Amino acid sequence: MDEEYDCIVLGTGLKECILSGLLSVSGKKVLHIDRNKYYGGESASITPLEDLFTKFGFQSTTLEDYGRSRDWNVDLIPKFLMANGQLVKLLVHTGVTRYLEFKSVEGSYVYKGGKIFKVPADEKEALASSLMGIFEKRRFRSFLLFVQDFKADDPKTWKNGIDPKRTTAAQLYETFGLDKDTADFTGHALALYRDDDYLGQPCLDLIQRIQLYSESLARYGKSPYLYPLYGLGELPQGFARLSAIYGGTYMLDKPVDEIIMENGRVVGVRSGNEIARCKQVYCDPSYVPDRVKKVGQVIRCICLLNHPIPNTKDALSCQIIIPQKQVGRKSDIYVSLVSYTHQVAAKGWFIASVSTTVETSNPQTEIKPGIDLLGPIMHKFVSVSDVYKPTDSGTESQIFISESFDATTHFETTCLDVLDIFRRGTGENFDFSKVKHDLGDEDN
Amino acid sequence: MASVLVPEFKVILVGEYGVGKTSLFRRFSTNTFLDTDSMTPSASRRSTLGLDHCARKFETKSLKAIKIQLWDTGGLERVASITNSYYKFAAAAILMFSLASIDSFHCLPQHLLEILSLAENAKIILVGNKCDLQPHEVTDSDIDMFLEQFPKFDGVYKISCKTNEGVSELFDEIAEQLASISYKSSFDAFKLHSHSEAGCCNANHLQQDEENYCCAK
Repeated sequence: MDEEYDCIVLGTGLKECILSGLLSVSGKKVLHIDRNKYYGGESASITPLEDLFTKFGFQSTTLEDYGRSRDWNVDLIPKFLMANGQLVKLLVHTGVTRYLEFKSVEGSYVYKGGKIFKVPADEKEALASSLMGIFEKRRFRSFLLFVQDFKADDPKTWKNGIDPKRTTAAQLYETFGLDKDTADFTGHALALYRDDDYLGQPCLDLIQRIQLYSESLARYGKSPYLYPLYGLGELPQGFARLSAIYGGTYMLDKPVDEIIMENGRVVGVRSGNEIARCKQVYCDPSYVPDRVKKVGQVIRCICLLNHPIPNTKDALSCQIIIPQKQVGRKSDIYVSLVSYTHQVAAKGWFIASVSTTVETSNPQTEIKPGIDLLGPIMHKFVSVSDVYKPTDSGTESQIFISESFDATTHFETTCLDVLDIFRRGTGENFDFSKVKHDLGDEDN
Repeated sequence: MASVLVPEFKVILVGEYGVGKTSLFRRFSTNTFLDTDSMTPSASRRSTLGLDHCARKFETKSLKAIKIQLWDTGGLERVASITNSYYKFAAAAILMFSLASIDSFHCLPQHLLEILSLAENAKIILVGNKCDLQPHEVTDSDIDMFLEQFPKFDGVYKISCKTNEGVSELFDEIAEQLASISYKSSFDAFKLHSHSEAGCCNANHLQQDEENYCCAK
C-alpha cells in the first residue's frame, strides 16, 4: 500500500467502481479500497439469505421455508436499467457488458384511483388502454406522435407554436388538451419525474425523457427496463474488473483511518500505519462525513413474496409507479419486483421493494399504498437511509464525493453524477476511444 | 441462420498469485510464453494487464464443435479477493498450483471451496504447472493424498506453460468433457450487445452511432 498513486478511490459502490474503471482506462494509476470485505458497498446484492436477515437484525435460524439460501442475491438498493439509458451506454462503451447477462422487465404499471394499469407507451397501446376515456385517448395519441417526431435541432418538428426552451411542461400538456390524470402518468410513469417541479420548467426535458422511455421500450420490447442476472451487485463488480484489467489495484477489508491533507489539498490516505500517497481521492459520503450535508431521506422496504404481485398478469418482474398526487404526496412511490428467474431468489420466490423519498416523521406509513399492492408478504426489511450531497465541488481539496443513491428506480441520475464527478476530477469528458474493445476477444 | 451456433463454455482460471494462470491464458490465446521470472515485479505485473478473456474453437472426438471461453483473473487476486461475478456462469474451473511451490499447493483447499460455493456446477480440473522446474516441491504422493481428501476433480494434469508440455492435451480433455454436458443458456437472458451479433467488436460501431453520447455534452 505504501506507494504513490494518481487517484485513490474509497468504497466499491457502483458509482465508485464506474469511476475507478474510467480513471484506470484513462491511464491513471488507481488504488481502490473498501472497508468491507465484499465488493459493492450499498450497491451490493446480499447473499446468502442469512446475511440479509442478520444485516437487518433478525434471527436467521428458521429459514428452511425460503429454499436454498445461496440462491438469494438481494439488492439493498433496487433499481432497473433503462434499455437505452446512460448506464447501458457506459456498459457497452466500456465493454463491461460482456461480464453480464440481462433480462427484460416484463411490465411497467401505473397506479390510478386505487388500481394499477399497464403504462401505455406507444400510440397503439394508448388507444387500447383503459386508463383514459375515448376522447382523452385521442388527445394523448396526438401528444405521443408529436413527441415521437420531435427533434430538438429541427424547428419544423416543434409545431403548434411550441418552443422547447420556453414553453413549460404544463403549457405543453395544455396545448394538447391533456387532463390532470393523463399529465400525471405521463410525467411520472413515462418521464419518470419524482415530483411535480418539472411542470414549471421548459418542456424540452420532458420531451427527451419520454423519448428515452419509448426508445428503451423499442429496444427489447415488453418494458423499457432491464435487470442483470444475479442482481445489481454484478454491476460494480464488472466495473471493478475493468479497472483491474487496466492496472487498478484493489484492497478489500481495509479500514480507512485518515484522509491526509496538506494546505487544503489531499495528499494521501492512511490505513493503520500504512500511508498511500495520491493526488486525488474519489469516494462515497460515508468516508468523509465532515464534507457532506444531509439533504433528505429515502425509505426502502424489501419484501420477500412467494407469489407475483396481484393484477400484473403474474409478471415475473415489473415496476409500478404510484404518482404522488394519487396518494396525496409530494414525491412518487416506486414498487419493483424481480424473481427467481433472475437468479436472485430461490425457486418460486419473488423480491418486491417499495421505496420513496421520506416526507414525514413516520416513513413506514408513507409506503403503505405500495405495500398494500403486494398481497401477502412473507418477510419485510425496512431501511431509512440519509441522502448526502458533497458540500463543495472538490476542485480545491481534490476530494470528489458522490451523492447518495436517490429513490428513483433507474440509474439515470447515478450516471449523470458519475460523469459529472469524472469531469470535475479530470477536467475533461470521458473519452471512450481509450477503451480497447478487443481485449482477449480476437476469436469472436 | 446460416451457421450452426457453436456452444460456448466459460472456463475460469483459479489459483494463487504467481502459479502461472496468465501464462496458461497466453498459451491458450496466442501460444506464446513470457518469461516473467526475468522481469522486474512491476513489469511482470504489467504483463497480466489488459488480459480479459478469449475464446477458441475445439472439435471433439464425436466431431462436435464447441468453444472454450477462457477467463483470466485480471490480477485481482494479487491483493484483494476475486469478485464473485468471475465465477458466475462458469462451466469449468482450472484450479492451478505450481509444482515448484508447496505454498501454492497448500492454498488449494481454500480456492476449491470458493469454486464449490460460487460455481457449484462447474467441472473442476486440477493442474500442476511448471513441471519443467526441478526439483518438484510438490510430490506425486502429496497430490494423491490431496485427491483422496477432496474427491471433487474431473481431471488432473501436470503441465509446463514454458515448454508447452501437456497444455493442448489439457484443453482437448476439457473440451471433451464440456461437449458431453448439454449446453444451456439462461432462458431469454441476453448480453447487451448480442442483438448485433459478433461480440465486442461491435462496440466500436455503436460508439460511432452514438457520438452524441451524453459525455460529450
